[in-house]
Amino acid sequence: MNDQQPESSLAPEVVMALARLAGYPPLDADTAARIAVGASNAVRAVAASATVSLIDTEPAAFLAELERLAESD
Amino acid sequence: MPDLARATLAAAAAAVARGETSSVELTRACLERAHRLNAELNCFIRIEDDAALREAARADEARAAGARLGALHGVPLAAKDMFDDPERETSSGSRIRQGFRATTKATVLARLAAAGAVNLGALNMTEFALGPTGHNAFHGACRNPWNRAHIAGGSSSGAGAAVAARIAFGAVGSDTGGSIRLPAAVNGVLGLKPTYGRVSRAGAMPLSWSTDHVGPLARTAQDLARLLTIIAGHDAADPSSSRRPVPDYEAALAGGVGGLRVGIALNYFFDGIDAEVRRVLEAALRVLEELGAQLTEIEVPAAEHLTELGRAILYSEAAAVHGEWLRTRPEDYSPQVRTRAMTGIAIPAAVYLESLRLRPRILRRFVTSVYADCEVLATPTLAFPVPTLADTDVGAGVAMWAAIARLVHCTAPFNYLGVPALSVPVGFTAGGLPASLQLVGRPFAEATLLRVAAAYQSATDWHQRSPPIS
Repeated sequence: MNDQQPESSLAPEVVMALARLAGYPPLDADTAARIAVGASNAVRAVAASATVSLIDTEPAAFLAELERLAESD
Repeated sequence: MPDLARATLAAAAAAVARGETSSVELTRACLERAHRLNAELNCFIRIEDDAALREAARADEARAAGARLGALHGVPLAAKDMFDDPERETSSGSRIRQGFRATTKATVLARLAAAGAVNLGALNMTEFALGPTGHNAFHGACRNPWNRAHIAGGSSSGAGAAVAARIAFGAVGSDTGGSIRLPAAVNGVLGLKPTYGRVSRAGAMPLSWSTDHVGPLARTAQDLARLLTIIAGHDAADPSSSRRPVPDYEAALAGGVGGLRVGIALNYFFDGIDAEVRRVLEAALRVLEELGAQLTEIEVPAAEHLTELGRAILYSEAAAVHGEWLRTRPEDYSPQVRTRAMTGIAIPAAVYLESLRLRPRILRRFVTSVYADCEVLATPTLAFPVPTLADTDVGAGVAMWAAIARLVHCTAPFNYLGVPALSVPVGFTAGGLPASLQLVGRPFAEATLLRVAAAYQSATDWHQRSPPIS
């Protein structure tokens, strides 16, 4: 990960607008740029991993899946 | 009284049980050491002399009356400053929570107390547990006992430093991206991030409820096993805790590693590893091989995405946890923590939920692929020598993301996966700072990881070396 902004990154101005919309105090441009980089990295990783339909999966299944995959006692 | 510089938690507990020392005597010695060394290390936010001595006196009174409180009877421990305790303040390493006093006790503290432990005080930590270096703008940086110019790691910085410096016999911390394992690694002690759901988080400050884990740090596998046996298990106050039975991890330490398959990650984890750290880790793996383990190479599926998948969750949940304060008291956060906590506002809700829904599938693929050919996966905990405080003091500057990513490269993937991961010290780099191996198991395989660590420690003496601090 680095602070270079690929073309598909969020624009800092979008982050500033989202912060305003959500009632946060105004962000300076540097902070908004940093947030844009961090959020973009996370969003790209999820997009790259979402290669199957998730219609039959739910988040609550996670602990159950851990228990199912546990080594036998 | 046992020699504090050498005694393990188990040895200290045995000495109290046999009446060779009292809990008060042991606690006074730890408190004296805490006050003396804290000036150099800054590993405590508060040293709680009065409360600790009261608890120690209760332990001694119980023993005098013929009662045994538990496996930690009279043993001084300490906890990261983020566990609720009506008898103590809990600041979460922050300015915002200074003076906060909870009305109920965190389950992990209650279980340690019920087992007879004495709590020495609140250990330094990264503000709100959000950072891997141990810098803290409000309480000051925690320093590494092996070399005070270097980081103590984060976010459980004080836990790693205090256990390494022989101030506390063990500690509890939290881990959302490496916050137990990194401080353990850079301070030369063991640190375990248990399986998600193995240890209750009730009363622990939340950062990201889907990726937070609570776990122990100690100097030996036996000590760590004892602590885990006590704190693990279902808790009605934490609906995310597992109902799976808790084994006696200490009893499961024996057996060695003969025939055990240890997988060495072929991809991602050793990418760009420092040559010196690689030599130390290869020597450690040879020790396991000489003990009878079979080394095998393993491809870890989708490893390059795991950290960021976790961050989509971590930052979304952190932004929700901190939303009110970020709106009303932004100036009370350090710039780095504020920036990181706000990152979630720019992650679409659909992406957050997608990462959560992907998680069971990606976990299943990881477990069925990796553990088809090994029982334990081995990676570095930190793939380069322990950096200095100065080199990692990046604040919210342009180098922030890269610096954090480098530090949590090997640890954060396992917070997304929720599997247990144990950092074991296995030697030193030329600068005299520790290097550590990370052992990763399938869900609820903590006993296997501890057994490997115990076998390794039975054949080596790294864990007996003390930092050059007295």
